[in-house]
Amino acid sequence: MINITQLDPAQAWSLYQPESPDGWTLRQAAHLYRRGGFSANREQLEQALTLNPGEAVHQLLNSAEESVSQYETLAKTMLATGNANNLSAWWMYRLLQTADPLREKMTIFWHGHFATSAEKVTDPQLMYHQNQLLRSNALEDFGSLLHDISRDPAMLLYLDSATNRKAHPNENFAREIMELFCLGEGNYTEQDIRELARCFTGWEVRANRFRFNRYQHDKGEKNIFGQSGEFDGDAGVDLVLAHPAGPEFICRKLVKFLVVDEPVPSVDLIAPLARQFRENGLQIGPIVERILSSKLFFSNDAIGRKIRSPIEFSVGLLQSLEVTTNYFELSKRLADLGQKLFFPPNVKGWDGGRTWVNSSTLLARANLVQDLLDREETRFAGGGMTDLCDKHELHRPTEIVDWLQTMLLADELSPEVRSGLVRELESGTDPRERRLRQVVYLMCTLPEFQLG
Amino acid sequence: MTLTRREFVGLSVTSSAIYGLNSKAPRFLVNAAEEAQKQDRVLVVIQLSGGNDGLNTIIPFHHDEYRKNRPELAVPADRVLKIDDNLGFHPELTGFAKLLEAGQLAIVQGVGYPNPNRSHFESMDIWHTCQRKSGQRHDGWLGRTIDQLQNDPSSDASALHLGQQKQPFALTSQQWRVPSVRSLEQFRLQGNKNGQAETIKKLVATSRPKSNELLDFVQSSTTTAVDVSQRFKEIGKTYQSKAVYPKSGLGKKLETVAQLIDAGLRTRIYYVEVDGFDTHAQQAPAHEALLREVGGALSAFTTDMIGQGQGDRVLSVCFSEFGRRVQENASAGTDHGTAGPMFLAGPMVKAGLIGEHPSLNDLEQGDLKHHTDFRQVYAGILEQWLKVESKPILDGVYDPIQIIKS
Repeated sequence: MINITQLDPAQAWSLYQPESPDGWTLRQAAHLYRRGGFSANREQLEQALTLNPGEAVHQLLNSAEESVSQYETLAKTMLATGNANNLSAWWMYRLLQTADPLREKMTIFWHGHFATSAEKVTDPQLMYHQNQLLRSNALEDFGSLLHDISRDPAMLLYLDSATNRKAHPNENFAREIMELFCLGEGNYTEQDIRELARCFTGWEVRANRFRFNRYQHDKGEKNIFGQSGEFDGDAGVDLVLAHPAGPEFICRKLVKFLVVDEPVPSVDLIAPLARQFRENGLQIGPIVERILSSKLFFSNDAIGRKIRSPIEFSVGLLQSLEVTTNYFELSKRLADLGQKLFFPPNVKGWDGGRTWVNSSTLLARANLVQDLLDREETRFAGGGMTDLCDKHELHRPTEIVDWLQTMLLADELSPEVRSGLVRELESGTDPRERRLRQVVYLMCTLPEFQLG
Repeated sequence: MTLTRREFVGLSVTSSAIYGLNSKAPRFLVNAAEEAQKQDRVLVVIQLSGGNDGLNTIIPFHHDEYRKNRPELAVPADRVLKIDDNLGFHPELTGFAKLLEAGQLAIVQGVGYPNPNRSHFESMDIWHTCQRKSGQRHDGWLGRTIDQLQNDPSSDASALHLGQQKQPFALTSQQWRVPSVRSLEQFRLQGNKNGQAETIKKLVATSRPKSNELLDFVQSSTTTAVDVSQRFKEIGKTYQSKAVYPKSGLGKKLETVAQLIDAGLRTRIYYVEVDGFDTHAQQAPAHEALLREVGGALSAFTTDMIGQGQGDRVLSVCFSEFGRRVQENASAGTDHGTAGPMFLAGPMVKAGLIGEHPSLNDLEQGDLKHHTDFRQVYAGILEQWLKVESKPILDGVYDPIQIIKS
């Protein structure tokens, strides 16, 4: 096993080319889909095995153009209600239906990165607009993304920057663009924040649109990162983009999101990615492709070494077992698990990792699955769990438990836990369908299922 | 270190059985049990997230600099609730004024730390861990406290977090998993299958030879979750509050804390949060509502605890990650600042103002200078209230502020 803290960085990010067939099995394919998407059903996993890992990653990055009209029509209906909770359900539906899972996954990444909450931005239209902005830039140019988000009305409202006058500039946006969006704490001074805040004076939101009010803009000279000039807001954003700390900050966050929760990777390990990101002009897609097709990504130091987010937990379960259900009810429950889409907890977004897990969220995870399994609308491959088993020609209890393990878990269960589940399936007087559902429920409450 | 807390319910039943049987149980046993419970002092931490504007909480209403820097936001002198000739509470803090009048509120002024950081997240981490970013942050100050307080794995959890947000870093312990509880109603396993919880517990507790740290963490957290949910099923049925709690988020949380204390839970530390203090724009209405919420809830909680006969063993403390800039900004709000007041409530506190109001004439980068380190307040809480040695917890020697009546 590779030790992530002592890994040779060049090796770690080199292309994964398995030398034997057991280096590219359903386990690795499922891992790729869990991270580069949410999960996959059996057919999708088997299809991936007809490619090599690099090709499978390439396919994720180059998914066929989605027919978006169905989502847009649905979004209009949701927006007409004026209730952002409906927007959460809408996105949940899109995550489950999408033909472009990596783009959705990365849209969630940027939603957490440029966190904006409908709790404060009460017009769902603005939240939807931001969501589209994040989606269309999710794998493209980070510079354009940052420029766009800096003028995004939802963002400006969220960071109290709907008015910004030159007399006493509001520092909130200037602070967060450096601390949370681009550089990380410690890479700038309080003076840089105050000067950058002056660049953004005159930036306003009027009637839900960005507007530049030149009468309120401070045209004077500013001094930021040791450079002086009569910088305006866009020039300020460019200065932040040119700061040397930026690429490492973003790449580190991508590695945490896509590869491992812990331990914290060394500066050396991130360096090759940061260098490539800087040299390619901050293009996101190629970095994501390199991460997902790397040796480190497919190693045992990455597989099963992340705690599933509530979205990965729920959407993953549904996709793996070909489930359809009531998406409104499902998305309502996500708040109890700690991740309600369009409602991140604060401007830092979701911290992820161990913070997903506490006694309340774990009980909520178990209860979400219980509710899903009890719900009349819930279907597995169009029928019951019995039908799903029939479809995949699973008969013996051991076959069923092992199939579920492959579909749901990153790592194999210990023999004792496995036989405990087999016993649940074999024994008892409940009808078979009920016992099957009980096994799915128990599997989802296991510590192993919380890891992805 | 094992984190399994099986038999946990069993032991709690033993101690309540002693109370229940006090006419028949040997008197010395009853006394010992009562004494033990009495000594189990409780700390309730209330985190004001976002950076509370201390200057509009404890207001230097006569000060010229205050009026000059706050043309929009200054509270008129005739509206403040006067503490003395110079300082007063924000008019919405009637709850605090009432507590002070009853001798149940201490106000520690000018609290902060050297070389202040104005990032919410960084500053909060400093308050939670007592470590700067360069230091090793493995656990929080309260996590280290419960490592000292708890040595019996079968007892109730030493600390509980009430709330929906992620768990505060302050509660991270090397040895224990602190439960987070959103509400008592939500905190249970659904489903009507008999023995479901036992089945889960058995499968979860089964050993995993190929485990890793992350898996261990989820495993022990799951065991804690199921254990605590089973314990909670039995409690809270007899509680009748002795005060009217405001119908706010904090009011509900503190009422739940009261219910748990009343139920005889052996938990020593409760942690709750109120968010929204990051008032960069249109501060006045938001800040007013928050102060009303905090003052109302804390005053109701203190009254309730006294009414339940628990007052003498409960201390509450409010803190925020920083105060705000002296000069308001152009959005009728305030930006991130530094020093601010902390509040301690309960019948045992040394009531009144502690320390001077930070000077408005001697600012640093437009911010108030602190004169009291927050770790001095922590040291007071640890040494005088929880009766544990503060040095290992705070990673240094801090002169404790006298916060408890001598």
